[in-house]
Amino acid sequence: MTTRRDLLRGIGCAATPFLTGLAFASPGQARKQRLIVMFSPNGIVPSTFWPDEVGETFTLKTILEPLAPFRDRTLILRGVSNKMAGDGDGHMRGMGCLLTGIELFRGNLQGGSMTPAGWAKGPSIDQQLKNFLQSRPETRTRFGSLEFGVQVGDRADVWTRMVYGGPNSPIAPISDPYQMLNKLYGRAKDQRALTSILDDVRADLAAVGSRLGVEDRRLLEEHATFVREMERQMQVTPEGPTPDLPTGVKSRNEDLPRASRMQIDLMVNALANDFARVATLQYTRSVGQARMTWIGVDRAHHDLSHKSEKDAQAQADLTKINRWFCGELAYLVKSLAETREPGSDRSLLDGTTVVWANELGQGNHTRDNIPFVLVGGGLGFRTGRSLHYQRVPHNRLLLSLAHGFGHHIERFGNPEMCVDGPLADLT
Amino acid sequence: MLSPLLIALAVGPADGARIYEKLCASCHGTAGQGSKTHDEPLVGDWSIDKLARYIEKNMPEDAPGTCGGAEARRVARYIHEAFYSPQAQARNRPPRLDLARLTVGQYRNAIADLMATFMPPPEVDRRQGLRGEYFNEKEIRAALAEGSRVRERLEAGVALTSETPPVPEVTADNYAIRWSGSLFAPETGPYELVVESDNGTRLWINGERLIDAWVRSGDQRVHRGTVMLLAGRSYPLRLEVFKQKKEPSVAIALRWKAPHHVEEAIPVRHLSPVRSPEVMIVQTAFPADDRSMGFERGTSVSKAWEEATTAAALEVTGYVLAQIPKLAGVTLDAPDARQTLSQFGLRVAERAFRRPLTPAQQEFFVARHFADGNDVEFALKKSLLLVLKSPRFLYREVGAPESDAYDVASRLSFTVWDSVPDQELLDSAATGRLLEEIAPQIDRMLADPRAHAKVRQFFHRWLAVDHLEDLPKDRALFPHFDEAVVSDLRTSLDLFLDEVIWSEASDFRQLLLADFVYLNGRLSGLYAANLAADASFQRVSSGIGGRAGILTHPLLMAGFAYDATTSPIHRGLFVARSLLGRRFRPPPDAVAPLSPALHPRMTTRERVALQTRPEICQGCHATINPLGFAFEHFDAVGRFRRAEEGKPIDASGWYATRAGQRVRFNGPRELGRSLARSEETQAAFIEQLFHFMVKQPILAHGVDHPETLRREFVQDGYSVRKLLVQIAATAASTKGATP
Repeated sequence: MTTRRDLLRGIGCAATPFLTGLAFASPGQARKQRLIVMFSPNGIVPSTFWPDEVGETFTLKTILEPLAPFRDRTLILRGVSNKMAGDGDGHMRGMGCLLTGIELFRGNLQGGSMTPAGWAKGPSIDQQLKNFLQSRPETRTRFGSLEFGVQVGDRADVWTRMVYGGPNSPIAPISDPYQMLNKLYGRAKDQRALTSILDDVRADLAAVGSRLGVEDRRLLEEHATFVREMERQMQVTPEGPTPDLPTGVKSRNEDLPRASRMQIDLMVNALANDFARVATLQYTRSVGQARMTWIGVDRAHHDLSHKSEKDAQAQADLTKINRWFCGELAYLVKSLAETREPGSDRSLLDGTTVVWANELGQGNHTRDNIPFVLVGGGLGFRTGRSLHYQRVPHNRLLLSLAHGFGHHIERFGNPEMCVDGPLADLT
Repeated sequence: MLSPLLIALAVGPADGARIYEKLCASCHGTAGQGSKTHDEPLVGDWSIDKLARYIEKNMPEDAPGTCGGAEARRVARYIHEAFYSPQAQARNRPPRLDLARLTVGQYRNAIADLMATFMPPPEVDRRQGLRGEYFNEKEIRAALAEGSRVRERLEAGVALTSETPPVPEVTADNYAIRWSGSLFAPETGPYELVVESDNGTRLWINGERLIDAWVRSGDQRVHRGTVMLLAGRSYPLRLEVFKQKKEPSVAIALRWKAPHHVEEAIPVRHLSPVRSPEVMIVQTAFPADDRSMGFERGTSVSKAWEEATTAAALEVTGYVLAQIPKLAGVTLDAPDARQTLSQFGLRVAERAFRRPLTPAQQEFFVARHFADGNDVEFALKKSLLLVLKSPRFLYREVGAPESDAYDVASRLSFTVWDSVPDQELLDSAATGRLLEEIAPQIDRMLADPRAHAKVRQFFHRWLAVDHLEDLPKDRALFPHFDEAVVSDLRTSLDLFLDEVIWSEASDFRQLLLADFVYLNGRLSGLYAANLAADASFQRVSSGIGGRAGILTHPLLMAGFAYDATTSPIHRGLFVARSLLGRRFRPPPDAVAPLSPALHPRMTTRERVALQTRPEICQGCHATINPLGFAFEHFDAVGRFRRAEEGKPIDASGWYATRAGQRVRFNGPRELGRSLARSEETQAAFIEQLFHFMVKQPILAHGVDHPETLRREFVQDGYSVRKLLVQIAATAASTKGATP
């Protein structure tokens, strides 16, 4: 039997996630829809990111090149702006308002400039959609949503949180793949351990019971019948096998690529098992300082992002960094494309929209032209296009995501940013 | 002259047995077991005299009055001695020591202590309060690493509001304060911790970050978190706050809402400046234990219980696996992990089973799982699950073919702590010294806060205050009697109980005789004492009516009362049951008390007498009511009063001893003096304490055991503490569930 370990060791090869305990859907069942939001920080390099053309004919530049195999499934949105004003500096509002579309509270977090701020004033769109899906039996899943992180860091502040359950309720992503594995499959592993000891438990009960008088032995015999009942139940509803992860991946900078692939594999696996319909994947944090030595970049990401646009070396490094993130996106998309939607002849990608987002447009702290790239067919957007808007508030994109799920809300976040409704011509 | 009855029987000397057979057995069964028409067995605790009077008046049902005088007395004596009395019942069907599983409380304690084996031992420090530390920067961990703490001191609690730095050593714009130490939980249950602050703050309890508001955001000032804690233990606590330079002031307060209490500043006696080790608290929900005998018993199992033991075993295993380095001192990838974790698994098994394992058991429970080639983590998981699912852990004293010193150690620790033995007990059992040093061992164990917590829990149950949730009272009549007062009354009762029980004399009689009540400023106003409004708890004896210890404690008086009026029936029933050990059948009909509005100008005493006048009521109420009338000087919230409805209070009453002697009293102080001398009260107290502590029938330890314990109790000067030693010692040396 092929084990999960074998598959995960084959990173770089075509690693089709090993599916466990799949439920087989009946043919007439409604199409499953999923949303994944992937985040990387500190803005992009406009000249190597944005296609020059608008419309269906466009060329993917250096950063987006890894998406070439999925060009037809890709939708690039230029001109969408995070226009949130109020407390907090650019990074803080970029991060805290990215998925919430609403301002930050006053607070005690002092950024590099501006007034101090606290948490966002409302829920993020992924959690809004999770609650929507969980409220209906036909779209309800075990977890509803899963929040993955890659080296987010052990701090809780507005720079490290983009997912909010509600006002003042940030939700922490799980950066440790082993912790995520345990969350997803701990139950199955427990069951395996239990099953393996049940014979011994019964033998032990019998050994102790044999020394007791008749009346007392009856109690242990009754106990033993309950153990047998548990065993029968576990045979009726077995949990699937547990994926195995490579060991020894820690929160060291150099482990970032391995952690990334483990998290992506776990995510695709969880979606294929329909553990959740909404997922987020957050690389580091706003102001993240990954040092991508594995692609020859020694300097820290955020520091680089503040270099002059005329600093060719810095721009080349930033292009490499963002291209690396795009490569992880492409790996995610490829995994989804190569995984069959259980009970259908479609792929997971056909039912999933992946949104790649950033808290900034570029390193100078602008929140104009947030680099939104959408891949996949989950929400029915017309892909294979490069669109160019004129500074439209990003709340309208968040509304579009909701409407894509059939969740026809008129506002999300700050209502003033929602007056023109969902973005035109996405579908 | 022969009575008509004897002529009817036409036999010689009419003994009770013959009379019973002729006149009673057709309905009551040949041995009082009942019949199809009368299915209630003929058992109870009336005296022979009382039985005789009852028979004379009411029996046989179809011809009352035909069995009187000497015949009634003879048949009553026969019934009493043959099967009716508790002694006869014990003789006929001797109660046995049932095999018992751990009760829910014992399970939680056992796991907590099992895991504590692998934690550093707690530091002993008698100081109260928290350790306060001040830093000239926001990052406390960094400051500690640099050694740049600017001030450290002992503080009574956390309640600070200041626009200037709280200590002169603090000079920075951004500064931080940390309070740390331990929190003591007097009762088992949910504790809500409340931090109110204008600044960024966070709170850890028992290793869990209960409140994280390090980011201050919006108008949130009050932060709450709830944590389940086990009684009699201390838990690590850490509270941090930092003032950001743009904030105008630092303001922070720490409060709690303990079970049965209102939100209040944490009393300093529950705080300690040293950090206790973390306590593992099983969160798995268990089905409630059987309490039909008046004490929790683990003598039945159910599917729900079995499932809970599985869930709890997984929970504990998960807890261990998540912190292997901390508990076992090794990491999974260390070269000696297999060896070390196998040893660790063995120690867990020994502690869980309360005894060393035989070589065969070592192999079965531990060693074979760790065989070369097996995944070490999975091996530990399997071994732990097998141990935690074993009857040797889940049941009491089934680990050895013959009862031995380890069983004695277990019985001691479960009796005194409701938990597994500690290392010292196991060591004593191992060397064979335990039986000779049993009394000093119990003394040592009784000094542990877990023992105090268990004994306090007994008193709460004995005094029927454990299930008083809130005490709603008529707002118009008692506008000041609110939740905060009830909370303070609980504190008042606990202070009194602790003082009496854990004093040198530990004199049971003081519980019934003490003329003082602990009051504070808030209670003082309501109970007419003369304390300053902010006075802390202190003894008060004047101006509050003639008090008699627990009998008239305002919490009990309010608890055994309706919202506007007293309830002599509830008060009398409490005395009859808890203090005289009487048992009553439930009333034949559910009866609502007569409304005072429909009987104006009647006192409560008069209304109760009126309502229970029918013959059918008097069988029980003749005992209950006169006991309850003793307390009529204390109104529905336990305040002293001289009159009701313009009539002076009549607090006179009486009760009959089991021997048939009538004891008269006027008011609770006279009643208290009678009870303090009463052998029945001593016996009732001993039986209930024994059952609570041991969780097995007292008579299973010998039919004479109750009386033996009572005599020793009197000889020991009514010392509750010495009684606890006797109970633990006898329970420990009685052989348990073996063939």
